[in-house]
Amino acid sequence: MSNIAANAPNTSQLLMGNEAIARGALEAGVGVAAAYPGNPSSEIIATLAQVAKQLNLYVEWAVNEKVALEIAAGASFAGIRAIAAMKQNGLNVALDFLANLNLTGVPSGLVLVVSDDPGGISSTNEQDSRHVAKALDLPLLEPATFQEAKDMAKWAFELSEEIANACLMRSVTRISHARGNVTLGELPHLENQARFDISRRPYASIAATAPKFHERLHQNLSRMSEIYERSPFNWYVGPKSPDLLIVTCGSGWFHSKEAVGILSKENSVGILKLGTTWPLPKGLISRYFLQTPKVLVIEEIDAFLETNLKELSADLTTGRTWTFFGKASGHVNPFGEITPDFIIHAIADILKVNYVSRSVDYQKKSQTIIKESILPRDSQFCAGCPHRTTFWAMKDALRMDGRQGFVVGDIGCYSMGLASTGFSQIKTVHAMGSGMGIASGLGKLNQFGFNQPVLAVCGDSTFFHAVIPALINAIHSQADFLLVVLDNAGTAMTGFQPHPGTDMNAMGAPSPPVDIEKLCQALGVKVMVTDAYDVKETTQKLIDLLRDEGKPRVLICRRECALIRARKENPLYRVRINPDKCIGEDCGCERFCTRVFKCPGLIWDRNTKKVKIDEAVCSGCGVCVEICSQEAIFREANG
Amino acid sequence: MESKACQALVDEVIKRDLCTFCGACVGLCPYFIAHDGRIVLRDHCDLAQGRCGTFCPRISLDLEEMNKAMFGTPYSWREVGTSKAIFMARSTNGKIKGRAQDAGTVTTLFWFAKDEGFIDSAVMTLFEDKSLPKGVIVSTEEEILACAGSSYVATPTVEAFNRGAQEDDRKKIAFVGTPCQVLALAKMKGSTQEGRNPIGKLQLVIGLFCTWALSHPGFTQFLEREVSNPIIKYDIPPHPANVLQVYTEKKRIDISLEHILPFVRPACQVCHDLTAEFADISVGSGRGEVLEWNTVIVRTPRGMEIVEGAKRKGLIEIREIPKENLARLERASFNKKRRALDRIIQKTGSVDDLLYLKLQAEIARQLLAE
Repeated sequence: MSNIAANAPNTSQLLMGNEAIARGALEAGVGVAAAYPGNPSSEIIATLAQVAKQLNLYVEWAVNEKVALEIAAGASFAGIRAIAAMKQNGLNVALDFLANLNLTGVPSGLVLVVSDDPGGISSTNEQDSRHVAKALDLPLLEPATFQEAKDMAKWAFELSEEIANACLMRSVTRISHARGNVTLGELPHLENQARFDISRRPYASIAATAPKFHERLHQNLSRMSEIYERSPFNWYVGPKSPDLLIVTCGSGWFHSKEAVGILSKENSVGILKLGTTWPLPKGLISRYFLQTPKVLVIEEIDAFLETNLKELSADLTTGRTWTFFGKASGHVNPFGEITPDFIIHAIADILKVNYVSRSVDYQKKSQTIIKESILPRDSQFCAGCPHRTTFWAMKDALRMDGRQGFVVGDIGCYSMGLASTGFSQIKTVHAMGSGMGIASGLGKLNQFGFNQPVLAVCGDSTFFHAVIPALINAIHSQADFLLVVLDNAGTAMTGFQPHPGTDMNAMGAPSPPVDIEKLCQALGVKVMVTDAYDVKETTQKLIDLLRDEGKPRVLICRRECALIRARKENPLYRVRINPDKCIGEDCGCERFCTRVFKCPGLIWDRNTKKVKIDEAVCSGCGVCVEICSQEAIFREANG
Repeated sequence: MESKACQALVDEVIKRDLCTFCGACVGLCPYFIAHDGRIVLRDHCDLAQGRCGTFCPRISLDLEEMNKAMFGTPYSWREVGTSKAIFMARSTNGKIKGRAQDAGTVTTLFWFAKDEGFIDSAVMTLFEDKSLPKGVIVSTEEEILACAGSSYVATPTVEAFNRGAQEDDRKKIAFVGTPCQVLALAKMKGSTQEGRNPIGKLQLVIGLFCTWALSHPGFTQFLEREVSNPIIKYDIPPHPANVLQVYTEKKRIDISLEHILPFVRPACQVCHDLTAEFADISVGSGRGEVLEWNTVIVRTPRGMEIVEGAKRKGLIEIREIPKENLARLERASFNKKRRALDRIIQKTGSVDDLLYLKLQAEIARQLLAE
């Protein structure tokens, strides 16, 4: 267990990258931290929230990333060091503010940590956030080790104050979520005193002042570049004049080291690890470039560093040229996560080394084993998830309605409404709140002969994050749609964080919840509420609402997330099967509960040809009792 | 008889406007539901063969084979189906006659059958005012009487039989319904599909003469516009009167059939069966001198047993059917068959493709040539 607030300098702890970043912020005397949950960044603010009371921090799960960054900026304007954290998609949300903030600058340290998700393991895209740093002329740092994650996060505040502007730090999954030993530094004894100086020039760039501030940004870049020349976050290992120079950053460092080690090429391949990746320390880089004819660039997602190095090399007036290898040359994958395998093969190809990663025999054997013992598995909603029952009701209601209605959605656990676990109901998923926006458009196509009912789904968290403006838009335009709010009392997908609709804040203190139903009533839209577990009632309400067409309508399907509930309370029911009544594969059922409804708490026993309850998985919600057409499932209320 | 799975039902019957909405495919499993005048497949069942396809009267219909199985005789195109006796009948019970559609024969026979223990339940169709009628399974004389009267709207009544047959305390069930529903029950009887065939509990089938049925919600919405007071009875008097009579609590409204015919279910256009040819007893209205009577066709020994028993007890009175009426009925029946064949061939474009009818092209040609 990490003790992130430990007042124990020079001791070592095993920390997750995100924890290390949080510790770095604490060592810098951070006062305010804000974020919106987003994998792989969530633990940064979650960690700070846990020690907020103890260390006199203010920590918030803000309604969205733009507001989170604005909160942090507000603190910085009042002289308090602040940190905002988000995933790559969150940066897009915050970008409007950030693209103005860079021109106004900040007086106190403001660090924006963006955790990218190469491969989009838990995202809708695998966007490379680093381009934003270049586009906005802001400094960019990329930690490559867990120690660095902490040290960089701390130093980022100093850099930020040096240039009086925000500082970007970019992490990736393999840094944020992996763990390593970190030697702690000192925690400062600060008395953070907040005060906004009303006498100074306003923080604003309007009318024709932008070019002036823009010029100032470029001047900043030069200063930063000079500071970077001396940074301990850039280092080199390898021979003086390597046959091949690897330039890498972030998680590329560990991968490159491993690859070079496996090929035993430490004597001919050098690795220049950069931690300061925008602007580039030209002097430093050109010194190493001059020692080698070949450069291989290793980085996650886009050829950001690679392209910038090529630009840099074009400006060097040495008359020399280099052969660059990397994503552009096809030596490193330009999409998906990088792995040591790619780097090994790249080096082997460049240096004409023979390397066979595994025998053909091994490959064949492993594929046979995979086919035989690793069963294909769909992603699924948890046992007891209210989204399953809501999508079930939507599926039935739309089929009964018979007009080819469909669902557009956004981001959350319920995005799995795209898959068979959600009965393939959702037809579009893009950004937070996008379903409502798209529905606002679809709902105005009547004049083009459009007559399909449109349902937009959103979660309680995305409702506050982004849906409200789109909903207001659609109410005002009188679009024809039904918004279904899946209210499971939390931001579940990212770790059950609170949000403005819940009664608690990030620091565990009570907070007045904003009532979605009352808000809809105030907006003047027809709104109904239903219990997501009550399949019959929810289906009927949907059918009725679908029929009440030609205007905006909202249905709030309420039921606490099964996992949130399970942490607090015993299961609602003890659920059991009566095997005598179960007709299994026969005409009349054909495994309706396991094959169609697909709750993982139900299992099909191929030997007895009956359904069983998996007691380790079943959450005791009791909904399957309503699904079974033979009354073979029964439930007893848990005392 | 061939059986097909749920998707075949959707593609070959529902999507081709052949579905009669009889309800035979509903109530057997969770996959099909009857909703708002339509049969809806809410999920896919993986079975290649199922009771839904076996029972559907619009999939794979071999009238010759069915007639042999039920009556032991070849199917007759010219007569009003196989029969043991055809006559007029009417109830002697004033209470029944006051409530009934015509002469109260069906209600009286059901009361008798229940009294004598032939049946413990009856599947019937109940309508209230302008709402969509529903199939129900009932046990008491009062409930049976409450179901008297036709709304002319197609109702999935066989669903009520499928569900009712699953109730353990119902062991002997009667059914009254339209020719398509009766056809579905006959297919059920002939089904070789193993397991869970509800037909085992069926004791008595009364079929009603039917020319066409109306669809919901089209007809219902029309009524809501045209008739404000609650409706207690509908009637279509015999030709040449060309109206639908709608009786409200206050008065009778006559609506010209030309306004009603647009709501006839497309599936009725290709129906060949006027007199419910596969029932134990078929019942229709009378005309002319026997306007106050029901026309009754008895087809099976069970049907005979019920009718003779009721007659012996004085619950119904019987008289002979006027020759002219029988001739007219036979003509109407045959014309319906020809119209059906004609329209099927119009749909398919070829006499070699008769959709679900298992009938040789040569026979079809002969019938149409007359």
